[in-house]
Amino acid sequence: MTAIASENSEVTVLLVDDNPQNLKVLYETLKDKGYRLLIANEGAKALDLAHRHRPEVILLDIMMPEMDGYEVCERLKNDPVTSDCAVVFLSALDDLASKVKGFSLGGADYISKPFQSQEVIARVDTHAKVIRLERELQARNRELVSDQARILNSISEGIYGLDENGVIEFANQAAAMIVNSPVEDLIGKNFFELHFATASDSDVCLPVMGTCRQGVAEHQRDIQLKRVDGEAFPAEYRATPKLDNDELHGAVVVFRDITAELNNERALEEARALVQEQRDQLAHTSRLTTMGEMAAGFAHEVNQPLTAIANYARVSGRVMAKENPDLSLLHETMEKIEAQSHRASEIIRRIRRFMKKPATGKEIVAVSTLLDDTRQFAEVDMRNNEGGIEVVIEDGLPDVVADPVQVQQVALNFIRNALEATRAAGSSAPVEVTARQCSEKCVRVQVRDHGVGVAEEAEEKLFHPFFTTKEDGMGIGLATCRSLIQAQGGEIGYERPDGAGACFYFTLPVAGAGTDACTAE
Amino acid sequence: MTDTPQTVYVVEDDEAVRDSLALLLKSDSKPVKTYENAGAFLKDYSEEMAGCIVLDIRMPGMDGMELQKKLNEKHSILPIIFVTGHGDVPMAVDAMKEGAVDFIQKPYREEALLEKIEAALEQDREQRKTLGERMEIVRRVKSLTPRETEIMDRMIAGQANKVIAIELEISQRTVEIHRSRVMHKMGTHSLAHLVRMVLSVKDLID
Repeated sequence: MTAIASENSEVTVLLVDDNPQNLKVLYETLKDKGYRLLIANEGAKALDLAHRHRPEVILLDIMMPEMDGYEVCERLKNDPVTSDCAVVFLSALDDLASKVKGFSLGGADYISKPFQSQEVIARVDTHAKVIRLERELQARNRELVSDQARILNSISEGIYGLDENGVIEFANQAAAMIVNSPVEDLIGKNFFELHFATASDSDVCLPVMGTCRQGVAEHQRDIQLKRVDGEAFPAEYRATPKLDNDELHGAVVVFRDITAELNNERALEEARALVQEQRDQLAHTSRLTTMGEMAAGFAHEVNQPLTAIANYARVSGRVMAKENPDLSLLHETMEKIEAQSHRASEIIRRIRRFMKKPATGKEIVAVSTLLDDTRQFAEVDMRNNEGGIEVVIEDGLPDVVADPVQVQQVALNFIRNALEATRAAGSSAPVEVTARQCSEKCVRVQVRDHGVGVAEEAEEKLFHPFFTTKEDGMGIGLATCRSLIQAQGGEIGYERPDGAGACFYFTLPVAGAGTDACTAE
Repeated sequence: MTDTPQTVYVVEDDEAVRDSLALLLKSDSKPVKTYENAGAFLKDYSEEMAGCIVLDIRMPGMDGMELQKKLNEKHSILPIIFVTGHGDVPMAVDAMKEGAVDFIQKPYREEALLEKIEAALEQDREQRKTLGERMEIVRRVKSLTPRETEIMDRMIAGQANKVIAIELEISQRTVEIHRSRVMHKMGTHSLAHLVRMVLSVKDLID
């Protein structure tokens, strides 16, 4: 006899007894209590019902013909579908041994006959609640596990779970893809033997070993790992110790193939080197262009001492041709010749220093040296200016780190522009070059003139390549200046001054302040 | 008006070049005066200065070209030798158009410079001589009375004494007296010479 006694209840209770009278009593006891009741009068039927309906609680008589309650219980526990049901034994057997046997077979409880209906209700109720909670918990757990698996498998980085010996306990899809082997084949393999050719060498210390054995987190880049087919690839990995209550249980390794990344980096590095080379080239070209523009001025500068030398030499000749040569005049003239030849070679030295290529690289230099040299240089142009150049350097100004040739190129460019603007405005005001410390780590050099100034709409574009306000300009000068100053770790700019004229400035990092001293402001 | 002895005026901003050039010219027995910029020379300038200027074309402040312009405004006749650098040829050409006698490129050979200076001094001498003669003619013309001037103009125009007498309503005798005074004051006996003298200073009288 099997029957579904009550249909709308949430909790299902299966009653199993070979005695119809007993079944009836149980049924009467539990009906209208909100349970869905199933009944079976023999073991086989009970198993069938249990498998199909997964009752939370099974009240199971022990003494039954053919299949007794113990066997039913054992089978229920062996069936994964029914293994979590709470089996409550019902029996007149009230001795300890039979109770223990019942529990040892997976029984949850024991009710002795003749039973009290209140007791039956209470126990069924309790077990029903426990089982429901347990089933909910398991369902939630399954959900979580599958969520985690989805996440782990959708991560593009390879993930290994290793035990303390490096045996792979877990591998995600990405790991399988990267090492070119199905997940199943990876599980159980030794991580070190799988990925390193030198793993058999016992005293070699391989990546991740420290994490597996000593629990030290590791992070390394550009490590060669072997794929399953033997081909090596560059990898970046992070190994984190797997701890359970402070006890080391191996490591979690997150890794990825960085072949493409390294190629990109190399390409970027090459491009950067090319840009740098072109920038140096441009800077040099720009220096040569400046030199070309100044050629007449240089020729004049060199010709002055040469002219003086020729004159003095001729005077010396005349003095010596006399009957009583004036030896002191001769001596004086000779000294003048010497001084003028030094003057000529100094001018040539300056030109050579400016034309040097490639730039000599950064060094610690005094701002005053940089600016004095540049001023002397610019004086070639200054001959046509009434006001000249005034250099003011703040007392106690610290040295800077810079490439002197490049910085002088920028300063010279600024000063020449300023002289030109002053000339064009017909002004006799001097070009003011000032250097001061603008912050703890940064020195600012400023070139201010009272010339024709910069049109407001031109301000923004001043440092753009190919922008020029000069009729025969190429728009290279200031753009090159900007790249040169940026290479020093400084900044360059224009400020509209109060009154007429223009004001250009650049900054340089103080010696020992680091390369981002100025840009970090 | 008395001209100074011929002097070489050196206007040059570069101290070494100025000093060496002055020494050189002095050793060649030429009177030299040096100026370190165009402004200083302009301040010192007077019509009586004779000789020539050796002028650097490139100088801070007022450059050589500007000084030349200013001197032209003052009707200076001092010959100018421009000293130029490499690449200043276009400037030198402009300077020549403005009346410079010559230019020389630095660094120069002493002989070349001295030759140019000699030539300039010679030119100055002649100019001054001519100028002196013309100034004398002008002085003589200015010494004539208005009536004498009028008679002289008519003589130069080729009018006969008779015609002059009728037109001025004076006697022919009076014309003759004026005429002889003009010839005397102008220091000549020939009408042809008088005509030539007066025409040579026409620009100065008008």
